[in-house]
Amino acid sequence: MVKWGIAHVYASYNNVLITITDVTGSETIAKATGGMVVRQDKDQASPYAAMEAAKKAIDEAKEKGITNLHVKVRAPGGSKSHSPGPGSQAAIRAFARAGVRIGTIEDVTPIPHDTTRPKGGRRGRRV
Amino acid sequence: MKTTNIRIPKDRIGVVIGDKGSTKKRIEKRTGCTMDIDSNTGEIEVDTSKIEDPLIELKVLDVIKAIGRGFSPVKALKILNDDYYFEIIDIKSYVGRSSKAVKRMKGRVIGREGRTRQLIEELSESFIAVYGHTVCIIGPPTEMAVARKAVQMILEGSEHGAVYSYLESKRPEIKRDKLGFF
Repeated sequence: MVKWGIAHVYASYNNVLITITDVTGSETIAKATGGMVVRQDKDQASPYAAMEAAKKAIDEAKEKGITNLHVKVRAPGGSKSHSPGPGSQAAIRAFARAGVRIGTIEDVTPIPHDTTRPKGGRRGRRV
Repeated sequence: MKTTNIRIPKDRIGVVIGDKGSTKKRIEKRTGCTMDIDSNTGEIEVDTSKIEDPLIELKVLDVIKAIGRGFSPVKALKILNDDYYFEIIDIKSYVGRSSKAVKRMKGRVIGREGRTRQLIEELSESFIAVYGHTVCIIGPPTEMAVARKAVQMILEGSEHGAVYSYLESKRPEIKRDKLGFF
């Protein structure tokens, strides 16, 4: 039997969040993050962490009967970065390798038509 | 039929097509997509329904965008490799809309006879293209992060010397990462 799910992949420069839901998007089936699979904080956004997190989430989802996946990739968006971090590609790779069929891949980064002021202030972040 | 439309600058359309369509053919052959190019408007319709690898589906668009943002097709096709990424940095978001300021910043990123750009490329082992009001980077994730930071430093007004020493300081990290994760 074919059972579709949606994998929401939020890839920022600091972490990767993977949430697998049913097709309505309101019922979470499995979730995993980069921080759950690595020890060091700086590795949270690495492709390796994304792969492991994706594997973890997909294993749980498969157990619950998901066979096909639509993927929604997103970056922070808004006044922040509009391009997904390095984790997104690794996560999709991992889904494909785990033996689920992938339907559509969509970029759902929220892109404003105009925008609020980026944080940091006029003189930037002072370190 | 699964198609996506992207628009690229008109003067880059010729590069996407190539000599007698050779570049277009090469992209289609490597990815399995079909491209419908409108050379009057710069609109490209990419049909991705025949692509088997779901990741390539996403990456073809990046390849075309990269060519549109000033990369040569040879460098842009590198994006299709595993763990190569593509990123666009908008100069306008750093210096505002004034075309004079954008031009000045382009000059700062490129450097005299391309020295700065070349140095960033060599030290961070990634590729950089400056075109219009954008700076684009192609490279593996760690290298890319270093190159991105370096370009950002220049755009925020750091002196070139400071950027070079930042790049030097990141060399060991890049080398270590090449050996593999952890």
